[in-house]
Amino acid sequence: MDEDKVMVIMTSGPDTPRRCATPFFMATLAAAMDYEVSMFFTIDGTLLLKKGLAETIYPKKGGKSVGEFLQEAMEAGVKMTACTASMELHDLTQEDLIDDVKMVGGASMWQMAEDCKTVLSF
Amino acid sequence: MATINGCNLPEDLYYFIEKHIWAKPMDGKVVRIGMTTVAGKLSGGKLNAVTVKRKKIGEEMPKGKSVATVESSKYVGPVPAPITGVLVNANDKLDNDPNLAISDPYGEGWIAEFEASKWDEEKADLLTGPDGLEKYKAKLEADNISCD
Repeated sequence: MDEDKVMVIMTSGPDTPRRCATPFFMATLAAAMDYEVSMFFTIDGTLLLKKGLAETIYPKKGGKSVGEFLQEAMEAGVKMTACTASMELHDLTQEDLIDDVKMVGGASMWQMAEDCKTVLSF
Repeated sequence: MATINGCNLPEDLYYFIEKHIWAKPMDGKVVRIGMTTVAGKLSGGKLNAVTVKRKKIGEEMPKGKSVATVESSKYVGPVPAPITGVLVNANDKLDNDPNLAISDPYGEGWIAEFEASKWDEEKADLLTGPDGLEKYKAKLEADNISCD
């Protein structure tokens, strides 16, 4: 286990906008605390990585889009990983996703989790 | 007291302008740090939380490491240490009123105190006085930042 690594698992997607800001916010915050942060997207969460989609989702009317939360997390150094099985679920390919997303299998999720001090699941 | 692009920036403080942090030598080796009015502007004007890494009190933190985080509805980010030193104190007042860090940034809203490990050496990397503020002004203009 690495004392400086944490991970956020994201399962919520476009159907539940209000659940789509905090996970990014928490990831960005952890990066600001000097943790090495990964986000793992699965189930509907993976849809948020589809090119152009997050920019159309607003957790709060008049507030920031999920795209902005995602951008801030990436700028803070959060690494984005997508579950390959969830991509199949939504008929997505690597080309459908934004740049800098790594596709990994379920076993990689377990290995990432083992390496982390804290795993937060949304 | 100087005002640059509408931002209040006292001449006697030492500035880490990349991150808009100030440092002020106190008694002995103690150096107090906080956010500048520029940081307050960039954070959106209303902070929800300022959280100092209290677990690190008593430990030496290298310059550049995150000593605290600030959260607002528009922004979340680190407060990096402008110098190397042992973290000795966190401002308890920010627990109940985090916005003090930007409403009174150079007074009651200070964030943390360090016992500086190499102040004489590292202060040279910080900007201070009229010359330092000229450089700060150049950065604010280059980044198109105004507190008005």
